[in-house]
Amino acid sequence: MDISVVQSEDSVLLFVSAWTITEIIRYSFYTFSLLNHLPYLIKWARYTFFFALYPMGVTGELLTIYAALPFVQKTGLYSITLPNKYNFSFDYHSFLIIVMISYIPLFPQLYFHMIRQRKKVLGHAEDYSKVE
Amino acid sequence: MDALALEATSTKKPANGVPAPAPAKRKPAKKTKKAVVFFEVEILDAKTKDKLCFLDKVEPNATIGEIKSMFHKSHPQWYPTRQSIRLDAKGKSLKDEDVLQQLPVGTTATFYFRDLGAQISWVTVFLTEYTGPLVLYLMFYFRVPFIYASKYDFSTSKHWVVHLACMCHSFHFLKRNLETLFVHRFSHGTMPLRNIFKNCTYYWGFAAWMAYYINHPLYTPPIYGEQQIRLALILFLFCQIGNFSIHIALRNLRPPGSKTRKIPYPTKNPFTWIFVLVSCPNYTYELGSWLGFTLMTQCLPVAFFTLVGFIQMTVWAKGKHRSYLKEFRDYPPLRSPILPFIL
Repeated sequence: MDISVVQSEDSVLLFVSAWTITEIIRYSFYTFSLLNHLPYLIKWARYTFFFALYPMGVTGELLTIYAALPFVQKTGLYSITLPNKYNFSFDYHSFLIIVMISYIPLFPQLYFHMIRQRKKVLGHAEDYSKVE
Repeated sequence: MDALALEATSTKKPANGVPAPAPAKRKPAKKTKKAVVFFEVEILDAKTKDKLCFLDKVEPNATIGEIKSMFHKSHPQWYPTRQSIRLDAKGKSLKDEDVLQQLPVGTTATFYFRDLGAQISWVTVFLTEYTGPLVLYLMFYFRVPFIYASKYDFSTSKHWVVHLACMCHSFHFLKRNLETLFVHRFSHGTMPLRNIFKNCTYYWGFAAWMAYYINHPLYTPPIYGEQQIRLALILFLFCQIGNFSIHIALRNLRPPGSKTRKIPYPTKNPFTWIFVLVSCPNYTYELGSWLGFTLMTQCLPVAFFTLVGFIQMTVWAKGKHRSYLKEFRDYPPLRSPILPFIL
């Protein structure tokens, strides 16, 4: 079951392009690392492009979820209402809103983690060049 | 100890007519005895290796517990329960009961210290995490305002199983509180403070989630009606008594105020005969109780709670089972951790 009304939104283009670039770089990084032949450019790209791509991706995702909300509410997509014999209910609309709110604590944590990783991984190379 | 040996040999040649002391037996060193070799204790930070504390003139029969108290005096922010003292910076924590002179250290002992973080007592955590569900469930049962649509405020459910479920749930958590106060003998006094937030979120969250549906105006009673509810109630009560019996049996293994560990065996109480097949029957019975409650309420959130609880208890049971096997050579081989023959 897809939400076709949302597929043509600009926000979809935003996060798909951000994620596409990120993933191509990220999996190249993993592949070359496993082959013990990691070009510095890939390592640099992985730990630098995220500065822009991560916020782009998050923005795209949030806007897309937001665009889908009216449709989800109207059609009751993925939702279960009472009464039923399992005495259980699930409101996908409310769930999506909670997911959106969870971006507020989670995104900064992940973003700053990447920044810290960058200092650790790329910082090394700077030290070496200084020593030379 | 060398001093005692010296005394023992000197009895063969009494000098100056002075009666030599009786052949030295191995008595515990008394504080008034003169020939005691004092230890020196230095405590280093396990991570930075900084010298945090130096204690001289430490009795050889001092326990780690006493050393922790001495360390606490020089560093008042680190009360004894948050101290981890080890022989090795990355090693296991020493126990409070360990005696200084029985440890593999020289007369200058070097210990490593790690801060375990703020601590809170087990009793406090248990009482808090169990009282929450007790109170929260009742709020849903009495349909306190702002939970359900306002026309239902303070109304009561028309289904008698809902009243039964409330009694069972309340009884269960009341029992847990009473056991915490009067039955359990805890090995550790404290646990890390952050656990109370984690544990309360778990118990209180699940209690609210279950209670919401069971006490909902649109609640659907069990499909097989009275038969299902009767069977569920019997299972629930049977397992509550069983769980309590195991708690009493475990309590009786341990003298008050001690931390002794013994192999539990079946007693005269038939509910303890399950010890023949299982190491941690308290968890087995707990699973049974919640299966009973799930059957009684026919509520999916209750089933989830039962499943998550079962997973956690299995982890604990396997750990306990492993400890039993490590500690006791003669541990009965027929026993499984939590489910007879299965798990």
